[in-house]
Amino acid sequence: MTRAPDLLVFSLRKLAGAMPLIVGVTLISFLLTVYFGPDPTHALLGKNPTAAEVAQLSAELGRDRSAPAQYLDYLRRLLTLDLGHSMVTGEPVRAMLARTIPVSLLLLLPGFVLGTILALVMAAVAAWYRGGWVDRMISGVSVVGMSLSFVVILIGLQAVFGVWLGWFPVRGWNVTTLPQYLHHVAVPTLAFIVASLGYNTRFFRAVLVAELNSDQVRNARAFGAGPVRLMLVHVIGNSLLPILTRTLFSVPLLVLSGSLLIESHFGIPGVGKITFDAVMSGDQPVLMAVVGLSAVLFVITVTVTDLLCRLVDPRLRQE
Amino acid sequence: MPAQRSRLLIFGLLVLLAACSSDVHQPERVYRHALDGVPTSLDPAHAADVYAGTLVLNLFDTLYRYRYLARPYELAPNLAADFPDVSEDGLVVTIRLREARFADDAAFPDGQGRLVTAHDVIYSLRRHFDPATRSQGAWLWRDRIVGLDDWGRQGADPDAPIAGLRAVDERTLRIELTRPFPQLVNTLALPLSAIVPAEAVARHGREFSVRPVGSGPFRLVSLDETRAILKPNANFDRGPLDLAAEGFDPVRHGALGLETLDGRRYPFLDRLEVHFITEPATRWNSFISGREVDNVMLPAEQAARVLVSTDPLRLQPRFEGQFHASASRETGLVFYGFNMANPEIGHHPDPERAQRNRALRCAIRDGFDWEARNQVFYQGLGEVFPGVIPPFLAEFDQEMDRRSIQHEPAAARERLEAHGWTEQSLPALVYGLESSIDRRQMFEQFRAMLGRIGYPPDRVRSAVFPSFGEYSRAIRDGQIDVFLMGWTMAYPDAQYSLQLFYGPHASPGANMFNFLDPDFDELFRQASVMPPSPERTALYRQLNRRVIDECVVIGSLSRLRVHLWHPRILMLPDREAVGGFFLRFVGVQEPEA
Amino acid sequence: MSTVAGRRVLAQLIRRPLGLLSLGVFAAYALIAVGVWLGWWGSAWFELAGPMWAPPSPEHWLGTNRLGQDILMRAVASTATAFEIAVPVALLSTLIGALAGGAAGYFSHGWLDEFLLWLMGTLDAIPFYLLVVALAFALQGHAWTMHLAMIAVFWTTTARLVRAETQRIRELPYIDAARVSGLAPAQIIGRHILPNTMAILLVQGTLVFIAAIKVEVVLSFLGIGTQDSISWGLMIAEGAQEILIGQYWNFIAASLFLFVLVMAFNLLADQLQDVLDPRSLDARAHRHA
Repeated sequence: MTRAPDLLVFSLRKLAGAMPLIVGVTLISFLLTVYFGPDPTHALLGKNPTAAEVAQLSAELGRDRSAPAQYLDYLRRLLTLDLGHSMVTGEPVRAMLARTIPVSLLLLLPGFVLGTILALVMAAVAAWYRGGWVDRMISGVSVVGMSLSFVVILIGLQAVFGVWLGWFPVRGWNVTTLPQYLHHVAVPTLAFIVASLGYNTRFFRAVLVAELNSDQVRNARAFGAGPVRLMLVHVIGNSLLPILTRTLFSVPLLVLSGSLLIESHFGIPGVGKITFDAVMSGDQPVLMAVVGLSAVLFVITVTVTDLLCRLVDPRLRQE
Repeated sequence: MPAQRSRLLIFGLLVLLAACSSDVHQPERVYRHALDGVPTSLDPAHAADVYAGTLVLNLFDTLYRYRYLARPYELAPNLAADFPDVSEDGLVVTIRLREARFADDAAFPDGQGRLVTAHDVIYSLRRHFDPATRSQGAWLWRDRIVGLDDWGRQGADPDAPIAGLRAVDERTLRIELTRPFPQLVNTLALPLSAIVPAEAVARHGREFSVRPVGSGPFRLVSLDETRAILKPNANFDRGPLDLAAEGFDPVRHGALGLETLDGRRYPFLDRLEVHFITEPATRWNSFISGREVDNVMLPAEQAARVLVSTDPLRLQPRFEGQFHASASRETGLVFYGFNMANPEIGHHPDPERAQRNRALRCAIRDGFDWEARNQVFYQGLGEVFPGVIPPFLAEFDQEMDRRSIQHEPAAARERLEAHGWTEQSLPALVYGLESSIDRRQMFEQFRAMLGRIGYPPDRVRSAVFPSFGEYSRAIRDGQIDVFLMGWTMAYPDAQYSLQLFYGPHASPGANMFNFLDPDFDELFRQASVMPPSPERTALYRQLNRRVIDECVVIGSLSRLRVHLWHPRILMLPDREAVGGFFLRFVGVQEPEA
Repeated sequence: MSTVAGRRVLAQLIRRPLGLLSLGVFAAYALIAVGVWLGWWGSAWFELAGPMWAPPSPEHWLGTNRLGQDILMRAVASTATAFEIAVPVALLSTLIGALAGGAAGYFSHGWLDEFLLWLMGTLDAIPFYLLVVALAFALQGHAWTMHLAMIAVFWTTTARLVRAETQRIRELPYIDAARVSGLAPAQIIGRHILPNTMAILLVQGTLVFIAAIKVEVVLSFLGIGTQDSISWGLMIAEGAQEILIGQYWNFIAASLFLFVLVMAFNLLADQLQDVLDPRSLDARAHRHA
């Protein structure tokens, strides 16, 4: 049993070790989005500006200051959690995040959870009948899923369910009630499952097969454990570590990368959409907040995963 | 264990949603308006585009507006009690306000909206000249009002008086102009001129752009990247709707069911939703499904499947009776421009080279096939006309020589040859475009058309920009030789499009062409202080011809706006000059009892 | 891996039905691309050849798009574009990954290793599409924009795998022998370590190839991908709006061309993995979806 103070020290050490990472992430994204990124000045000008007005607005936006000065200013604001206002809309960035992150979570969670469960089930079946025709069929389906472009899946499902069948809304996020929510989340969820199922199934299958061949599972089987019990308790239980790692690690990436495409295609006001809009318009405060936040999320995930691994797998504690 | 965790998550989610949906009250009269773009800021000082404008005109008041149903567009007093009194020399303008109240907001004492005064109008115009406002509209009044520009330059002191902008009393405004400004009243009907209360700007600061407070017919309930929800402003009272005064014509408007609204106090809605849907096909599907929005501006690709004819407007049998429809010409134009500052194709100090460059531009113009452009991208519904005075204006000349918009590839080749242009000597052109499928296809069409007059395709290169802001920057920086531009007339006066060629407006100003012609500038200055008159019209047409003769522009085309809506909604929609003004008059048919 | 070993792998691949099939498909696509480069076909993809939205016919096998351009010709020309993007990206990111991974693994826990680990961690911590989009934007206007953006993101996985493998190989006796005989670290890495990571590099190269093609489609769809050319991503973006008004061919043609190639490469990667190292787990990164 690991004692609580040990865990605390471990986590703090981990988080402290992540500081260079956070500096790196903010520095690289600062260079990309501010220094080389689009200049929002011209989007904010009137239809007939004078050169003096252009210069004045540029100064207002802080674009005329040196890059290190801008970066230090950004770090200072990140540390004091002063996220500022969007350059384009004037909305406080904090309010934008508070408004959009729940939408993204609601949007992606069902697909994420269902996709993971479905992939586990399929992987378990395939692993159980490994080498047989069921296994081959499932792996065939997986390869097909992996070969489909996410964009094609999105467009195809939208056309089929939104237009031809007309079962679900074509776009938007008009959600105040549960039925409305289910209505809007259906197609994105399906798209998400189709896109991730192949990759997940294949990975989980490999993990489960390795575990099925282990001595421990052979023993359990010899003692007469039934297939369901064997699979659930011994196989999945024992391979929880890689499964958990992979699932957890996909969270921070998923929140942005996954939502960016879905949200910009379906016109859903989530964090992916505001991020994409911010990249396009050079809305530096929004971008920097999102990047800073996702870096922190990444570090937290790494730490939590490490922690869980230590809890689940005693062998790692020696390190 | 993972299964258990996810069950917990789903359960939590359901609880969360149930909490959100506990107070579901469906309002009776809802109109869901589809808009084809997303507004960025609802601060009137930034409301330079039609999307922000549509919302701003409903959340704030302007002194003037356009009549609901009258075409051609007619001005009408809005917050102003009447049209202004203008002095003999045209320099002093006096405007009386009617009684109006701002919507309730925490910015006011006790949260109660207060009366709108002449000081608010002064404040609202003045703040355009305060650099901190980042105004997008100051240019409309630049050098026009005595002392206003200097006030801004000298630090925008809130207590410093401005000679040309004074409140005679609480409800009377006196404007002193530097020279006659015939379009002043037009500018005072623009969203940019809307009246904002100083307290709200001070209290909400930068957030004012998402927490607007005005005296318009509606107030904002929520706003995100996909929609805005508005509810009526309880403090708004502009009396009953007078259909006759709004230009009601039983022949044209009889079938719309507007009569039931006559004589009733507006706004008529309990809830106004404005949905921002950029992609045409998506917008169409949201409408046709009947679930998401109540109106649509017909995407051109759909025209053949929906319309039998446009004049008179008739729908295909399967839509007949199912929808109401209207068609009107846009109050704007689409054209190609050349960057005249590039000596390879534009102005050149050597007169002989300047002539050759002109021949090159004219040849490109002659090689451009407007008919094909119109068919492919506007289903033939666009109207192509010479120059930049669009057909909806009184100054438009029916009789004008149409040679500049005819497709003459043979003449173009001859012209190139006559001026010594060969396949080797033709300059490389940078064609700028915003990143979208339509724009890219237009580029491919343009390049193919140029190919037919002997322009090698590898010498027409595209430069793609991810946003309109970046695109404008590139045009202003002279990185682009040929650009496609849409120009919406903020008011129905040819001065608004002719100013695009006025020398002092050259980059970074509205003169994206960097067209420099002293004769043009002189005539433009003359025309700019003249009230509407045959003499002014003659001057405008002369200016237009100058632009055509110099081949500065390939153009132009005005699109047809076909609106469809569900008959349950009683309205005549408009995206042009009336723009956001019509929403206050939208009614919903009462369900049969 | 020597050429002999390479020939052995190829022979083993061809003996497997799926291996033969995927290699065949790849060869067919490569032939299409080469044909485009040599101007045999597809070079007139931008010409307005027929009427708007013509249905499939003997002149236009897959019909035409809105501008009257031949859809099949555009899909064929896009094959060349796909190779122009995927081949350099796969080669360069594998090369960079191999060198960085080899160096980091050889000098593991030294300053170089720490720096490379920091760089990889940083690049991995920025959300994938955000990084690519921002990079594509920042480098806008250069012909190699998309290549650079993808390489910057893709080399890290290869580098991590090579680093781990190098750490293992470094402890083997023959490396010690090489060190004692006075070989410089660069020579040891180049001659004795990297050749033994060839299995990883081959499989990773294939996977990056797939990822590059798929990412191009996404970027073009978002409007920041292929610029002065034609690609499946652009065709799909055209098709996305057309499909909603009943014009399917653009979308179907591009999606099919894309799907078949990616599918073949996925199968090829599987077969390669089987042939080279039957025990290995699938290292395919989920985020490249």
